[in-house]
Amino acid sequence: MTPFELAQPASLAEAIALLDPNDTAIRPIAGGTALMLMMKMGLYEPQKLISLRGIEPRYSEVAATADGGLRIGAVTPLRQLEMLPVVAERAPVIAHTMRRLSNVRVRNVARLGGHLAHGDPHLDLPPVLIALGATLAIAGPNGERTIAVEDLFQGYLETALAPDELIVEVNVPAAAAHTAYLKHTTRSADDWPALGIAVALDMQGDSVSGARVAIGAATDTPRRLTSVEAALQGEALSDAAINRAGEAAAAEAEVHSDARGSAAYKRELIRVFTGRTIRQATGREA
Amino acid sequence: MAETSTTTVGQSYGRLEGHAKVTGRADYIYNLRLPSMLHAKIHRSPIGHGRINSIDVSAAAAMPGVHMVVTGEDVKTVLPEPYYGPAFHDQPILALDKVRHFGEPVAAVLAADPHIAERAARLIVVDYEELPAVYDEIEALDSEAIVHEELKPAGTFADLKHLSGRRDTNVALDFHLRLGDADKAFAEAVHVFEHTFRTQQTMHTPFEPIVAIADVTHDRAIIHSSTQSPSFVRYELSRLLGWPESNVRVRTGHLGGGFGAKVYVKVEALALALSMLAHRPVRVAQTMEEQFYTITKHPSTFRIRSAVDDDGRIVGRKCEVWWNGGAYADIGPRVTQKSGFTAAGPYDIENIDIDSFALYTNRPPAGALRGFGIPQLVWAYESHTDIIARELGIDPIVFRKRNILRDGRPQAVGTIVKDGEFEPVLDETARRLGWDRPYDKGEGAKRRGRGVAIGFKASISPTTSSAIVSVNADGSVIVYCSTVDMGQGSDTAMAQIAAEVLDIPLDRIRVVNPDTDVTPYDMSTLGSRSTFHMGHAVRLAAADAKEKLVAMAEEVGMPEGSNAPLPELFIKKFGMRAGTIVGTANFKPDYAPTDPETGLSPNATPFWMIGATGAEVEVDTETGQFTILRMINVCDVGKPINPAVVETQLSGAAVMQLGFTTTERMILENGQLTNPSLADYKVPGIFDMPVIMENGMIEAEQHNGPFGAKGAGESGTFGVSPAIANAIEDAVGVRIAEMPITAEAIFRALRAKDGAPLEED
Ligand SMILES: Cc1cc2nc3c(=O)[nH]c(=O)nc-3n(C[C@H](O)[C@H](O)[C@H](O)COP(=O)(O)OP(=O)(O)OC[C@H]3O[C@@H](n4cnc5c(N)ncnc54)[C@H](O)[C@@H]3O)c2cc1C
Repeated sequence: MTPFELAQPASLAEAIALLDPNDTAIRPIAGGTALMLMMKMGLYEPQKLISLRGIEPRYSEVAATADGGLRIGAVTPLRQLEMLPVVAERAPVIAHTMRRLSNVRVRNVARLGGHLAHGDPHLDLPPVLIALGATLAIAGPNGERTIAVEDLFQGYLETALAPDELIVEVNVPAAAAHTAYLKHTTRSADDWPALGIAVALDMQGDSVSGARVAIGAATDTPRRLTSVEAALQGEALSDAAINRAGEAAAAEAEVHSDARGSAAYKRELIRVFTGRTIRQATGREA
Repeated sequence: MAETSTTTVGQSYGRLEGHAKVTGRADYIYNLRLPSMLHAKIHRSPIGHGRINSIDVSAAAAMPGVHMVVTGEDVKTVLPEPYYGPAFHDQPILALDKVRHFGEPVAAVLAADPHIAERAARLIVVDYEELPAVYDEIEALDSEAIVHEELKPAGTFADLKHLSGRRDTNVALDFHLRLGDADKAFAEAVHVFEHTFRTQQTMHTPFEPIVAIADVTHDRAIIHSSTQSPSFVRYELSRLLGWPESNVRVRTGHLGGGFGAKVYVKVEALALALSMLAHRPVRVAQTMEEQFYTITKHPSTFRIRSAVDDDGRIVGRKCEVWWNGGAYADIGPRVTQKSGFTAAGPYDIENIDIDSFALYTNRPPAGALRGFGIPQLVWAYESHTDIIARELGIDPIVFRKRNILRDGRPQAVGTIVKDGEFEPVLDETARRLGWDRPYDKGEGAKRRGRGVAIGFKASISPTTSSAIVSVNADGSVIVYCSTVDMGQGSDTAMAQIAAEVLDIPLDRIRVVNPDTDVTPYDMSTLGSRSTFHMGHAVRLAAADAKEKLVAMAEEVGMPEGSNAPLPELFIKKFGMRAGTIVGTANFKPDYAPTDPETGLSPNATPFWMIGATGAEVEVDTETGQFTILRMINVCDVGKPINPAVVETQLSGAAVMQLGFTTTERMILENGQLTNPSLADYKVPGIFDMPVIMENGMIEAEQHNGPFGAKGAGESGTFGVSPAIANAIEDAVGVRIAEMPITAEAIFRALRAKDGAPLEED
């Protein structure tokens, strides 16, 4: 790693002021787990890093909202999402996802904002938050704006954030009744996923009244699988319906071969795991 | 040695260095800093094979804070023949004329601030003319690409002399063994089987990376190194310098792992050259990432054929093994030979051909890694053996037992087996697996299966260990030996041996960290040789000291057999608490060299190491993902000096091999390593461990071992890979012939078996 300057502002406003819209050698740093890897490999040589760890404590807090959801500060360590009872209560799928997200050392250090802003498709929470319909509050020199999590991801390591914008908050609406996230790793158990599927379903009687399904890791960006959502709508989740959902997922997702597996294998995984995630969400036997 | 009852030997004492390690006080060379020291950072080759047209260091040299930039030509000004290597003098300290692998050191930058050195190293511009490259060991046999135009065997080994000057070949060494008449056996055989198995390139990943600090003055070179081979490093550096060995001092601390990555010369020669050029102490400390360019485990291809008779007896075996040694031979040729002669497996087979080839390719160099080639061989011969048993409809355990080597029978190399507990190891593995009980293989998507495998290894021979045991006037004792404790617990074992012989408590014994100015010669800490060889040397040195104490007691008129405390004895002799009694010993076991024609030897090894694994797996047939439900490692461990330490050696070795079996793989694309970091090179984590793991020890007296002991640091690796492959075949009926065993490979094999092969992409 080569030398750089570290700024430690005490407020969000200061942090934003330290960023430069035209200079990518200046960047925010949250947990640093992603940035340090890139710096060690020589892929990124910053001049100056702006640490967010010292900004106002509210950006590291998790609060229950009046509508039954959660407001999560962007500097909240992932470990908090794992441990706080309010998360397990309001969005159990988030707490559950944490348990197999990398390892406890990474979860202690990594922050939700860094996790999202990194724009790496091989992360676990993006599909979960997309399936939950979460939104982001983004702050910049001209004030705040709100976007859906699914609109953040523009390409591999590319996001909708300007260089002088920061994610400040993640807002998760009240979760659907049936949610699940399943991941599959192919190189070691704590590897970044080769595939993640998140499902959020509402049921009316025996049939699906609302479905949000998202995929991560296997595709260029985490994204919704709208054909799967459509295939599930109004269905009673028979084996046949679940298989159709799996086929739809495999057909819709654009996948590529890489070190985690061939495209052909990933399509098979998508088919199988879409079904398994739906079953898991609705308490059906796999 | 006759069986004797012991008090200290055979007890599970905690490790002597345990407290220092858990409190963060153990002395690792990686943590060492010297006054006025410079840090070196290395500029490495971005290509697999190419001629160096020019090196432009101007931008790097101009960077503020840079002390000096050094190229291979600069090294020549202080060391005119800057090539090193234990078997071949083929490796330049920094690349000269050519680069031969991705990541090869081309230039070094020195600075007081390592970050400045790193940034400057990136500013070096090298113009290459790319040459055709070869990465596969089979293609290397007749490729247009030639890695070394001429072979340069080290003069020290008589058996390599004939290779000198050989040109335009990538075959660094070929080893051949001919026992009986294999051609005839195959011609007459009822059944003939042939399979080919492959293994991938992996790395040791010691958690203390490779590091050396050199501090050279006009007639003295001091090297602080995390080496497993202080004596060899001293020898090799003194050869490069043309200095007597007494002018070179190599010292080490505790090692944060070695596993073979730190044997022979690694960064010491570079540190030496840089310190000579800079006239300052220079630290060359690799990152975890850089180790992938430095030393690895041989990829291999093994074609194995067996001739089997109607009774399920293996009557002939032909083994062809190709070892991918990468760009520099390191100790690869020895792997080819010394492991090569066990390639037919632990079976009593009368007709054997073995052909084992060490190949140069444009991969990062391969050398010794826990098992020294044995795991690659066992992967093939135990997969093959299992397939034969299944195809003949014979229970795999029964089939193995029908053919297993037994005491009194010659192993393929012609050495009669003594104290080799092959059958008990196999029996114990089967017993713990519950082999003769019915097994529920499951139904639906999840299927279960069981497998076993057994492998063995000879100790590298002949090798020498020397030790000094000195008794202080207060009765405490210091053991001087150059065995390096890299986590295997050797200090504790050596102390236990000295304590046993001298009959004093363990806490009165200190084992000195290797330092060639202080501790005497040892061949190296490798190949599970230390307990046997250094164990003997320490035992004999302690006995020598004891004899001198007895003589001293006699001299001062103490009655024979008196057990007067030692301090009293010293006071009687020297009039006060003064003086030292020093015992010394050299140990070298008997050995007979292998015949150059037949490859046979009546005494190729002082002892045999034997290890088996039993595995139970569950395969998810919808994804190919598998879980190891149970892994049982059973080894012949002789009489353990410290049973608790030995058990951790078995489990550690097995877990390490589990990584090489399932998760670890260096990926080369166009000669470039795409995953040289722990982020993308996957060492198994806790969730990759078997649900249940058991370690079983067959404790059996090794007749010629110190207190009946033998080496056990690698035995746990032997059976792991094929046991898992065999269990997978038992579960779902597909055979994986190439490591690592991945979920996708299993899934593809399942689809192929169902007649619906998955497309390539
Ligand atoms: C070995 C390892 C294994 C991992 N495995 C997994 C895994 O299996 N699954 C998984 O989901 N994750 C995994 N992670 C990633 C981890 O979960 C983190 O989420 C991720 O690395 C980024 O978090 P961070 O806070 O460390 O971000 P940083 O490294 O600090 O920053 C990442 C990026 O985000 C930017 N940034 C940070 N905060 C903000 C903000 N508030 N606004 C705008 N930009 C910001 C930074 O400038 C940088 O570009 C792994 C990480 C490591 C090191």
